[in-house]
Amino acid sequence: MISTTDPTEQAPSVEQSAGERISELQKTISPSRLSLFLQCRLKFFFRYVAQFEKPKTAALHVGSSVHAVLKAWNKARWQERPLTLKQLHDEYSRVWNEADEPVQWEPGEEEEEKKTGWRLVETYMRESKIPPTLKPDAVEVPVEADLSEHGLPKLIGVLDLVQQRTIIDFKTSSQTPNPERVAHTNEVQISSYAVLYRHNTGQREAGLELHHLVKTKNPKLVVTALPPMTDERQSRLFTLIEGYVDGLDRRDFIPSPGLQCSTCQYFAECQAWH
Amino acid sequence: MAVILAMTYQKKLGLPNFSSHSCSVSVTVEIPDVSVAALESSKLYALLQTAVDAEIKEVGYMPDASSYGMRTDFGSNGANGNGSNGHQSNGSSRNGEGWKCSEGQKGFILRIVNESNLDKNDVENLAQQLFGIGVKELDKMQASQLIEELLEKTGKGKGQRRQWSRRQPARV
Repeated sequence: MISTTDPTEQAPSVEQSAGERISELQKTISPSRLSLFLQCRLKFFFRYVAQFEKPKTAALHVGSSVHAVLKAWNKARWQERPLTLKQLHDEYSRVWNEADEPVQWEPGEEEEEKKTGWRLVETYMRESKIPPTLKPDAVEVPVEADLSEHGLPKLIGVLDLVQQRTIIDFKTSSQTPNPERVAHTNEVQISSYAVLYRHNTGQREAGLELHHLVKTKNPKLVVTALPPMTDERQSRLFTLIEGYVDGLDRRDFIPSPGLQCSTCQYFAECQAWH
Repeated sequence: MAVILAMTYQKKLGLPNFSSHSCSVSVTVEIPDVSVAALESSKLYALLQTAVDAEIKEVGYMPDASSYGMRTDFGSNGANGNGSNGHQSNGSSRNGEGWKCSEGQKGFILRIVNESNLDKNDVENLAQQLFGIGVKELDKMQASQLIEELLEKTGKGKGQRRQWSRRQPARV
């Protein structure tokens, strides 16, 4: 049970009570929400139950802008009118300036970050080796899977790209992913996408690929190819979802102090928790 | 030596309410030798095309879209339309009217088409362009993609999505 200041005092615009929000959050589950719950339950509470508003981080803005350009690129080649690099740059500038949430920039930071993002896009175009003529199966498609027969909430998510029955997820990161651990650290997303794909197509995926765009001095693309989800992985996912539902039932929103706290936006709120 | 020339001409056209009809005519003729094959096939093509075009103008029986095949108990099993067991284990199961996607998706597609006055043939063509199959043949993932495209096309892609999105999952 959480014991902190009344969240409704800090989020007066929210009309739903915390109980109602928790009830809503138990009806559906997304990979990102489940990952956050597993990472830190108190952070989950601050974001989804108390709904404390925080400015978008620079890294998130870079990631979503790059993501939007890759979506445009994939859609364009699907419609057999591939975009030139100039058109991609115009699209990048457009989405960069149309941030859906305010971003808190340090002086001079925005220009630097904007360049970084564009270099990632250029890197992807140069290194992804996806033929412009290859038609995708789906691009940034929202899908859901009714897991009620397993006693679980509805799973929802968005598949970045599906191509030749392979599910592809784009990621931007500041560090090169560890090949030994990348499947484990992204397990929730990988398994969720496989479940979603199977429920929505009636087919088993050919495999999954994580496309990490790494923001090193010389940006690079790291593609991790993974086999189709095994039954054991699906069971693990369902167990994690069960833990999520039970945790919300118990109002189990304890913090998880650790290295990740150094970049957490809710650091001050967490300090006040008791 | 006899040379046989066989030719088939087929045309498939879209009809309202995601229907289509097609007409095909085949002919086999004997020609004296291969030197006249090009000329004869050109004549045959024109002949068959004329024959098919004459026939395909007749659309025949067209059902009343507002009632044909409608389930009388629609809505009684919950809004998601997944059938009485509330779950579809894969995307290949069909709902009562031959659509491969879910009832909810079907209803949503028809709602966008109706409320935005879209031409159903255009929607059918869009499905063909994206997936190479008709709207009714789309699985749930493809139907979801089509809905995204239609929302974008009708200007409801982002700002106004909230009011439309009850049956579409979102990135949360």
